[in-house]
Amino acid sequence: MTHLHDLTIKKFHEGLLKKEFSAFDITKEFFDYIESKDKEIGAYLNLAKDQALKQAELADIAVAKNEPVSPLAGVPMAIKDNILIEGLPATAASKILENYTAAYDAAVIAKLKSAGAVFLGKTNLDEFAMGSSTENSAFKKTRNPRDLERVPGGSSGGSAAAVAANMAVASLGSDTGGSIRQPASFCGVVGLKPTYGAVSRHGLMAMASSLDQIGPFTKTVEDAAILFRAIAGQDRHDATSAAPPAGKYGEELLSPKLEDIQKMTVGVPSEYFIEGLSPEVSRAVDDAMNALKSLKIQFKPISLPHTKYALSCYYIIMPAEVSANLARFDGIRYSEIGGRKKAKNLLDLYKKTRSQGFGAEVKRRIILGTFVLSSGYYDAYYSKAQKVRRLIKQDFDSAFKEVDVILTPVAPTPPFKFGEKIDDPLAMYLSDIFTIPVNLAGLPAISIPARKEGLPVGFQLIGKPWRESDILGIGQYYEKIFNF
Amino acid sequence: MAEINKKSLEHLADLARLELHEKESDKFLKDLSEILGHFKELETLNTDGVQPMTGGTELRNILREDEILDDRLGPDNVVDSFPEKEGRHLKVPPVF
Repeated sequence: MTHLHDLTIKKFHEGLLKKEFSAFDITKEFFDYIESKDKEIGAYLNLAKDQALKQAELADIAVAKNEPVSPLAGVPMAIKDNILIEGLPATAASKILENYTAAYDAAVIAKLKSAGAVFLGKTNLDEFAMGSSTENSAFKKTRNPRDLERVPGGSSGGSAAAVAANMAVASLGSDTGGSIRQPASFCGVVGLKPTYGAVSRHGLMAMASSLDQIGPFTKTVEDAAILFRAIAGQDRHDATSAAPPAGKYGEELLSPKLEDIQKMTVGVPSEYFIEGLSPEVSRAVDDAMNALKSLKIQFKPISLPHTKYALSCYYIIMPAEVSANLARFDGIRYSEIGGRKKAKNLLDLYKKTRSQGFGAEVKRRIILGTFVLSSGYYDAYYSKAQKVRRLIKQDFDSAFKEVDVILTPVAPTPPFKFGEKIDDPLAMYLSDIFTIPVNLAGLPAISIPARKEGLPVGFQLIGKPWRESDILGIGQYYEKIFNF
Repeated sequence: MAEINKKSLEHLADLARLELHEKESDKFLKDLSEILGHFKELETLNTDGVQPMTGGTELRNILREDEILDDRLGPDNVVDSFPEKEGRHLKVPPVF
C-alpha cells in the first residue's frame, strides 16, 4: 500500500500507470488525512472535494482506457487562494473577498486541468500576498509543520505547509519578493520562482504586476521541474508573458546531464553573507556548497554591489503598484461586506468597505504606495527606485558574464516564532532581503532544503533569465547526493 | 525626502479611499516614518544618467487584435460572481 507521505509527482505517476492505486482512492485518502491533520496546521482555507473527486475519476478512466496521460494526471494539488479556479471561492485571505467566487480559471489552472491535475483546495496566505509569515491572513493561522510554534513563512505559507505536512503532493504559490522561496525554506520543501514572464499571471490577483510570478512547491527538485514545465508558456491573456528564446522549455529541465552541470561556475556574492545572517543558516548553506563542490562544480566569489539598496527599492516600487492594483476593490464588485447598505454616497461606500475589508498591512502598503506616487514625491521615491532597480539588474547582468548560477541563502534566519515580527513591519520586511533582488531583476530562482534535521533552512540558486534548466539541473544532482 | 505627519497621512488615506481610526493612524505614522527613514539610504546613491527600469520585462509593443480570445469569461460567470443581482441585472446600493 502506498503511503501518502511518500508520494511525489513522479512516484504518483508511476503508481497510477502501474495501477497500484487509483487517483480517486488516493484523493479520498488525502481528504481524510487533511480532515484530521489540518486542524493542527491550518494550511487550507477551503476544500474542493466534489470537484477534486470528479477530476480524479477522469484520470482513472483515461488510465483504464490506456490513453496517454500527462505526468500530472490525477496528482492531488493545493492552490494558493489568490489564484482563480472557476466556481471556487478566491479570497486572497481578505475580508473584502470573503464571499467571492471565481468567475474563470487562471491560465495556470486551465493548463493543469487539461493535464488532468486534481485540486484539493485553496490555501492560506498573507492577505493579498502581503507578508512573510502568513500571520496577515484575515481568516486563520497556519502553523509550520516542522515546529508548530513557528510561522510557515509567507506569503504562500499555506501552500508550503500543505506540501510539507503531506496534505498535497505539490502546490502552487506566487512570489513577488520571496513569497514562494522563503516559505519553502521555512517549511523544508522545494520552491521555484520562474523568470518574470515565463508563467502567465492571468487569473492571479495582481499585487505588484512587474514583480509577481506563479511557481510550484514540491517535495523534490525533479517534481518542481515537472510542474514548472506544465505551467510555463506564453499566454495571450498576459502581455508580459513570453516564450523562452529557445521557443519552449524541453527535456533539459527534466534530464540534466552531469557533464553539463560540471561545466558550470557558481558565483557566491559577498553581499549576501553579512552580519545579520544566522550562524545556523550560514552553516547549512556552507554544507550545501560543499555538497555541490563534491560534484566538481566550480565556485567563484562575486560582487553584487547594489544589493543593500534592494529592500528600499522594493518597498517603493511594490507598494506603488499595490496602491494602483488594489484600487479595483471598490465595495461594488466582487464581494459584499458589511457597511455597504449604510453608505451615504459613493465616496463613503468606497471608504467604508475598504476600511473594513482590508487588514493593517494592506492599508499600510496602499498608503505608502499612494505617498511615493503623489505629486512632489514621485521623483524622489518612485523614479529614484526605478533607477536603482536598473542598477540591481545590471549587477546581475555583469555577474552572469562570469558565472552561470548564483548561490545565496534564502532567508537570514530559520523560521521564527508567531508574534515575533508582526508588530514591526520593517523587521518583517528584512526577512526578504535575499529574495527581493531576484524579483527586481526578473530572474528565476529556487529554494532547496539544505538540511534534514532541526529547523528547516534552504539555500537559493539564482539563474540567468530563461535558464531554469541550470538551477533545476544543479538542484536535481544535489538531491541525488543529499537524498531528501 | 519627506516626513509624513498626521495631516498628510489623513490626506493620503483620503486619496487611497481609506478611513483610519485614531489608533490605526498613530501606528501607521510610526511605521511609515521608520520605513521612510530606511529609504534615506537611497539619497547616498548616485543615479545620474541611469535609465529607469519601468517594468519587469524588456518586451516592447506586444500587440494583438482586439478580439474575444475565448469564452472562458462568459457574461453568466460575471453576473454570477457579482455580489447582488436581480435576474440578469446587477444590483448596487443607491449611492449614485
